[in-house]
Amino acid sequence: MADADFAPIEINTSPDQVHALVQATLQEDLLYDLSRIIHLLPFEARKDTQTIFSHILRFRPASYATDKDPPVISYIVHNRPEILVELCRGYTQTQSAMPCGVILREALKFDVVTAVILYDQSHEGEPAVRLSELKPNLPQNGDGVFWNFFEWINKSNFEVSADAFTTFRGSMQEILTRHKSLVTAYLATNFELFFGRFNDILIQSDSYVTKRQSIKLLGEILLDRANYNVMMAYVESGDNLKLCMKLLRDDRKMVQYEGFHVFKVFVANPNKSVAVQRILINNRDRLLRFLPKFLEDRTDDDQFTDEKSFLVRQIELLPKEPVDRSRTSRESPSGANTAAVA
Amino acid sequence: MADDMANRYQVMEELGSGSFGTVYKAIDKHTGEIVAVKHIDLESSEDDIQEIQQEISVLATCASAFVTQYKASFLKGHKLWIVMEYLGGGSCLDLLKPGVFNEAHVAIVCQQLLQGLEYLHAEGKIHRDVKAANVLLSNTGKVKLADFGVAAQLVNIKSQRNTFVGTPFWMAPEVIQQAGYDFKADIWSLGITAIEMINGEPPHASTHPMKVLFLIPKQPAPRLEGNDYSNTFKDFVAQCLTKDPDRRPSAKELLRHKFIRNAGKTEALQELIQRKQEWDAGRGASKDVKYYAESLNTLTKPPPPEDDEDWVFDTVKAPTMWVPKGKDWTTLDEEDDDCDPAELLQDMHISQQPPAPPKHQVNPAVQANSTVRRTPNVERSAERSPSIRRANTKRRSSGVKQPLGLDLSFGNSPSTVRQFRRVSDNVPNESTTPKVPPGFDENASPKPLSSSESTSKEAQLGRRAYSRAIGMSCQEVLANTGDGEKREAISRLAEAWSDLEMVDPEGLCHIIRTMNERLQADPRLSSLIPAAPAQPDSPSRPRLVLAQNNPHLKSHRRRQSTHGVDPLPQSPPRSSMPGQNVPGMEHTKQLSDVLYQRWAEGLRNRWGI
Repeated sequence: MADADFAPIEINTSPDQVHALVQATLQEDLLYDLSRIIHLLPFEARKDTQTIFSHILRFRPASYATDKDPPVISYIVHNRPEILVELCRGYTQTQSAMPCGVILREALKFDVVTAVILYDQSHEGEPAVRLSELKPNLPQNGDGVFWNFFEWINKSNFEVSADAFTTFRGSMQEILTRHKSLVTAYLATNFELFFGRFNDILIQSDSYVTKRQSIKLLGEILLDRANYNVMMAYVESGDNLKLCMKLLRDDRKMVQYEGFHVFKVFVANPNKSVAVQRILINNRDRLLRFLPKFLEDRTDDDQFTDEKSFLVRQIELLPKEPVDRSRTSRESPSGANTAAVA
Repeated sequence: MADDMANRYQVMEELGSGSFGTVYKAIDKHTGEIVAVKHIDLESSEDDIQEIQQEISVLATCASAFVTQYKASFLKGHKLWIVMEYLGGGSCLDLLKPGVFNEAHVAIVCQQLLQGLEYLHAEGKIHRDVKAANVLLSNTGKVKLADFGVAAQLVNIKSQRNTFVGTPFWMAPEVIQQAGYDFKADIWSLGITAIEMINGEPPHASTHPMKVLFLIPKQPAPRLEGNDYSNTFKDFVAQCLTKDPDRRPSAKELLRHKFIRNAGKTEALQELIQRKQEWDAGRGASKDVKYYAESLNTLTKPPPPEDDEDWVFDTVKAPTMWVPKGKDWTTLDEEDDDCDPAELLQDMHISQQPPAPPKHQVNPAVQANSTVRRTPNVERSAERSPSIRRANTKRRSSGVKQPLGLDLSFGNSPSTVRQFRRVSDNVPNESTTPKVPPGFDENASPKPLSSSESTSKEAQLGRRAYSRAIGMSCQEVLANTGDGEKREAISRLAEAWSDLEMVDPEGLCHIIRTMNERLQADPRLSSLIPAAPAQPDSPSRPRLVLAQNNPHLKSHRRRQSTHGVDPLPQSPPRSSMPGQNVPGMEHTKQLSDVLYQRWAEGLRNRWGI
């Protein structure tokens, strides 16, 4: 295919030649074609494509400032965002999932790429959203390419699902750790849609790996300081607490353990909503009997033991009746996940 | 979907245990092809599952005649199945059991391995755990690299790694020093593997693996010396074992080495396979073939019936509602009382499986792991040194006690299980276990009794007698015994008790009771029994009831239990009742206050409250 004679570009060519080659690649729209046909290529050619693609994305001319995005990245987000969308759609085919995943994770290191993937809502065959056209304040309809990740993770075979989750988590962690303005806008605008799907599809997944990893990711999202508002909104919901308490009673220890790290946020929250207080108070005796014996064999995990006794203490200190500290009734603020109640 | 995938394979006997999973032979029902299926229990892996995916992605992007071919992977419950090409010749380590290789064989294996490494390195991959155990042979003598459990994918060719992985004896000095290393590390390991094949064991084999980590960087590189080896072979090994990775040749360069160029054809390796088969036959053929048994906890089953004893989410119910219902939500099984859900869950697995092998049966393997590898003899099978995986990341096997116990019963006889233990795990173990009867370590749990397991009061008593009295007394006596022979006898006795307790706690209870009665019947022997409040086993006598906080009660109980006398099956196991420890609990309360303070402060700082 097209890339066969393209393979040796990294080998000791002069910088000018490389530059010219990259230019030609963009002019011929080769990256778009490659991203669409990668699943048709034979085994070794797919790997070559992945290598070449990643190199082109990273390419910087010698004179180029290092704090600017590489030129190909800028070109793609402004002129040809369809490439990114096609790469994501690589997850619909087993053959293309892994190479596309590697390229995507390389690209997602740049927040402009993350932004395009988060906000694009184009359908197959339609032009994708350009960086200049993003409308962060408009709520998402949930059909965009980013939202497809939930399905790819949930429905695909293990290899594809695991790779899709890695990319999904990668994009979450990128926006969480580096691109804070993005996350504030995105999670705030799409809070219910996002956590609704997160709870329903990922946390309650039938796949052990998806379930365990997504609970862990949820804990990481909530405990990231930058996400204070997101966390407060999440732990205000009684439905979220119910979901989480069910995890504590899962029959797999690692699911219980990851669930604990989300549960503790609910209990430690000094301004618990009435809904959350009510659930905790109604289950106080159960919890006080349950927690001391919860994952007892983790004797070498001091932090876990500390946190557990802290939670016990907090639950002991709960008032007899829920106290509404905010003086405003804000019970069950999120109706997004009533499915959590069995 | 996953079940469909799993059903496609008819799993047969166990082939061995790799660095973090068990490998079975299986038949692909669609194609009739024989494959190897590796089962990895994800529940026992604490760290990120992502790292296991790493192995898969490295494998899945390899297509070489010198590397075991990856076929598929999927989940079944919390087990990950990885389907690989089946290689009937076994590993080089297996083939070393009947005796060492000759130089011609070593040359062929090295030549093949170098081609495998050349491929991997060109792909930007480092194997990081090259050793005889990870070199597999097909029936026709083809040599393939296997076990990519710790392999790394470098993002670009020039990058380096810092992760501390591999198996100590085979590790290159730069890997140990964590100074950053690249694919040259595999070449060092290849050199060590060559020595392993010609001598039957790697250098320093008799040293503790952890100590080896200090020796390798400090001492001069190992060499083959003497007239037993040809000069070209000695030179080949010396080149592989160049301490400076920059001066160490690459796989490509080594393929031009005279020793390698003169290597024969792989068919010659069939001799080794045949030798092994004859050797096996001579030892009585089918030794301990372990067949795959579906363990129930592999399946994702809906949680056990819990009727409505779950959390109460109905706001209607008052918080006290559970009390009249008695055992309430923790009760998954109507008969059991006062036991926690975790215990119950655990029980459920146990009850549906052959009894989990007692922990102590594992210990021999654990010890063997880290001790001397002497001559290539029968014991070798148990001596595969574990690979250290990501020793500097936080990887602990979770819940070391229960989940591992379950998994051991996966095959059938636990006695020859090649128990995999990470070095880091068994080091502390090893220093303490040597002579102490194994029944005493984690197994003799300080828990008074696990009523959940018991089927009858007598069994409860039996277990209690064991855990409270017999085990302790044996341990005490053992601690006061210096003579080796006597110690061993005591250990054996303790072990026998432990076995009895495991198999027949009722019987144990009966023995103690009868023993006690007989002791009492004999006027002279009865002095062995503490005067205590008269014969506790005469039911006609009114029992002396002491106040709970009476200090005598404690010592009374202690005395009673140290001598294993609790012969009244009807008497409730009082000290295990809740509330007993109340007077002692105050300090824990203080402790939790302190912890709470500390935690709250941390949270406040973190959330800026």
